[in-house]
Amino acid sequence: MPNLLEVRDLSKRFTSAGGPFRKARSMHAVNGVSFDLPEGRVIGVVGESGCGKSTLARLILRLIEPSGGAVNFDGDNLLAKSPSQMRKLRARMQMVFQDPYSAIDPRYTLTRAVSEPFEVQNVTPKKPMAEEVADLLEMVGLNPGLAASYPHQISGGQKQRVGIARALALRPSLLVLDEPTASLDVSVQAQIIGLLEDLRTDLGLTYLFISHDLSLVKYFCDEILVMYLGRVVEALPETAAPARHPYTRTLMESTFEPDPKKRRLIAPLEGEVPSPFDLPPGCAFADRCPNASALCRTETPVLSTETGHAVACHHPI
Amino acid sequence: MNVSQMAIRSLDAFARMSIGRAFASGVGMVAGGFLILLVLVAIFAPWIAPFDYAAQNLMNANAAPGWPHLLGTDEFGRDVLSRVIHGARTSLSVSATAIAISMAAGMTLGAAAGYFGGFFERAVMTVVDLTWSFPDILIALIFVAIIGPGLTSTTFAIAIAYLAQFTRLTRAQIVRLKRETFIEATINLGAKPSHILLKHLMPNAIAPVIVVGMLAIGDGIVLEATLGFFGLGAQPPTPSWGAMMSSGTAQLFLSPWVIIFPGVAVAVTVIAVNLFGDELIRALDIRDRLRGA
Amino acid sequence: MLSVRDLGVAFGAVQPLSGVSFAVGKGETLGIVGESGSGKSLTAMSVMGLLPLSGGRITGGKVEFDGQDLTKLSERAYRKLRGGRIGLITQNPMTSLDPLKKIGPQVDDVAKLHMGLSEQAARARTEEILGTLRIPEPALICERYPHQMSGGMKQRIVIAMALAADPDVLIADEPTTALDVTVQAQIIRLLDDLVKERDLALVLITHDMSVVAQTCDKVVVMYAGRAVEHGPVETIFDRPRHPYTQALIACIPRGLDEATRLTGIEGTVPTVVNYPSGCPFHPRCPRAEAICATDPPGFSVEGDSAAACHFAEVADAQPA
Repeated sequence: MPNLLEVRDLSKRFTSAGGPFRKARSMHAVNGVSFDLPEGRVIGVVGESGCGKSTLARLILRLIEPSGGAVNFDGDNLLAKSPSQMRKLRARMQMVFQDPYSAIDPRYTLTRAVSEPFEVQNVTPKKPMAEEVADLLEMVGLNPGLAASYPHQISGGQKQRVGIARALALRPSLLVLDEPTASLDVSVQAQIIGLLEDLRTDLGLTYLFISHDLSLVKYFCDEILVMYLGRVVEALPETAAPARHPYTRTLMESTFEPDPKKRRLIAPLEGEVPSPFDLPPGCAFADRCPNASALCRTETPVLSTETGHAVACHHPI
Repeated sequence: MNVSQMAIRSLDAFARMSIGRAFASGVGMVAGGFLILLVLVAIFAPWIAPFDYAAQNLMNANAAPGWPHLLGTDEFGRDVLSRVIHGARTSLSVSATAIAISMAAGMTLGAAAGYFGGFFERAVMTVVDLTWSFPDILIALIFVAIIGPGLTSTTFAIAIAYLAQFTRLTRAQIVRLKRETFIEATINLGAKPSHILLKHLMPNAIAPVIVVGMLAIGDGIVLEATLGFFGLGAQPPTPSWGAMMSSGTAQLFLSPWVIIFPGVAVAVTVIAVNLFGDELIRALDIRDRLRGA
Repeated sequence: MLSVRDLGVAFGAVQPLSGVSFAVGKGETLGIVGESGSGKSLTAMSVMGLLPLSGGRITGGKVEFDGQDLTKLSERAYRKLRGGRIGLITQNPMTSLDPLKKIGPQVDDVAKLHMGLSEQAARARTEEILGTLRIPEPALICERYPHQMSGGMKQRIVIAMALAADPDVLIADEPTTALDVTVQAQIIRLLDDLVKERDLALVLITHDMSVVAQTCDKVVVMYAGRAVEHGPVETIFDRPRHPYTQALIACIPRGLDEATRLTGIEGTVPTVVNYPSGCPFHPRCPRAEAICATDPPGFSVEGDSAAACHFAEVADAQPA
């Protein structure tokens, strides 16, 4: 399959201006991220808070302007596009957001929310708009009878379905899913994940799935990128691949199985994700890493496939 | 459907609207009812007023309230009631026009500043804050010096005086709304800035601005009266509550009714506007959004 | 140590909680698991006697702690118990700590209040507790303010406060929900160790079945303000008998076991104002029949476990 999305060395540096009583500070929210997303595949990006996974999603869609790197979508270099060209292209790359509760304008009925993509892109649907809206609502498992409802009249799971219907209205090829179930109950999360799986096969969609939940990513995705403090530290080519980066292993060991028989002695890693501002040189994980050597504190490891799948570690497991 | 059914249905629709809900409480009904009455009086002043507001009758100057001059006459023998009724016209129209101009300009500036941010935002807010730091009277004097005294100067002075308030409030709303997910989602659909602003940001930002505008009309009436009192506003013989009180000061002890009735008109109107405004805030449930503006 | 029998709670005319029972002994961890609006946090509030603060009242049942019925306790007596013999750990460490006070005095206060310790004795105790929670350099931490610490560290301080008066029972309401997974693992391990070392009775309230599987000995599954199933954790996961428990387990992704497809539960979680009649789960239940909509089911007991379902005959063990 050809690559639908190619990301090269994508970076974003945020700076806060200094003042008389404050130092100017900067952070690399996303630092040199590269990967290929072939058509029809699902890549999961997993990491803890502050690892830059949500920023990465917005850089790819150019909702945040990158500081450097390249994003090729279906052969087009997105960063070279003018604002109006970009607006056109957006029809083909959509996003589902983490917070369904604020993802729909509170003054819009579901009909208006779901037909807005057509209005914005100036596209006339093949069928009459009311039918098109009903079809879209049905496609995401909503009763078309809800079309006249306002967002405050429906549940969180239903709102997220509306968000998906809006994103799919113009039949995009790429869907970026930014923690689409993180604010939903587990029983509703499972519904939404099931729906996304069905839509993927029915519509031939390609997904980039952002999540903090490793078991969910393992369940849902074909490949996994593990991020830590703005960098990809490991790229698992398949979900069952063994962890080779100490951080990935920690993440896996911190994720519990829903089975009391698989209970294990947790030997947790001490410490927490450090502040992303003004990081010391070397590997960002070195302070928490059981295998860290002097080299790790001076030289930043780069992603390398020398010893198997891509891992950014001086001492891979 | 007959006419009465239609009337009932439109009343129903009105009651469901948030503004309609402001009438639901006793206070809201009395204050709102008074304001509606006042607007009607102002519109139909020429037909309601028992006398010509400008007709002088020096033979009957400073007559005490009684028949046929219910509220008495002033130093030129003009009917005070007729002048208060016509004064409502002047006060309300000047204040409402000024606030409308101020709101339109403030919303435009505030929305643009909030949406585009950066240097533009800082420039707009600095200029607007500057207008806020000048006393209203001083602004009025500047306009009087440029265009001469009269209702036009008064209107612009009031408009400038309230510009900062509307600009700041609108900007605060837009900045808050801009962070909502649905805005990001709509940008990601490929929407132009004009679509975001007109179809999402403004409709969601407008309610608190309207309420503040409503309350500002009351303040505008006071400001118009003040300017009129100092002779900077309505010029004789145009009746204005402020100008009437000003001319009444000369005969304060001889004929107090000349100053009392326009004063009462100002006071009652402003109280009604404020009470109704409070009900509106409650009905629209926007108390939180009015803070921090 | 702590046992709750047939607890019911009302706020005015709404009855958000009814028929909740469980018991937890020393050195034991009990999990209360459920989705949003299931009443699990409300259960904790009732046990802590915090209902009157939000205008609720206990309408029935018993809360027994060390032989005395807490529902009959005066507010003054409750105040002694709360933070004393029963410690509470809340979900959001950011709101449990006073932002204007240093860490040391905040923890000291608990020991001073409940154990009558002097200033110096309380501080010594604070440092000792912080040490057992594996907080490096306790003396230094005592001089810090909450905003100078990470989320995981703050949660440890909240745990230290709950432990300061040497409680017998610890109630932890979603103690790790606001934390990252690696930090969650640290806190869970810490709570596990505390239960063993101090012979504590721990009530762990969570929405996460995986956390329950990892840490609990017994579990109560709640749905729409009712306990629908309870029993030893192995039994509940091996042979869940209530359709809701079965469905809840089927909702959890198992990364490595790709054969099982995630199945959600149709419909939405009910809220207090629209709790269904009869069995609260019947509108979403695949097995529901006419009786389920009208009659609230009683508990069908089998061994140590019980399920509130009209059709609680042993179901196929669904999870792997």
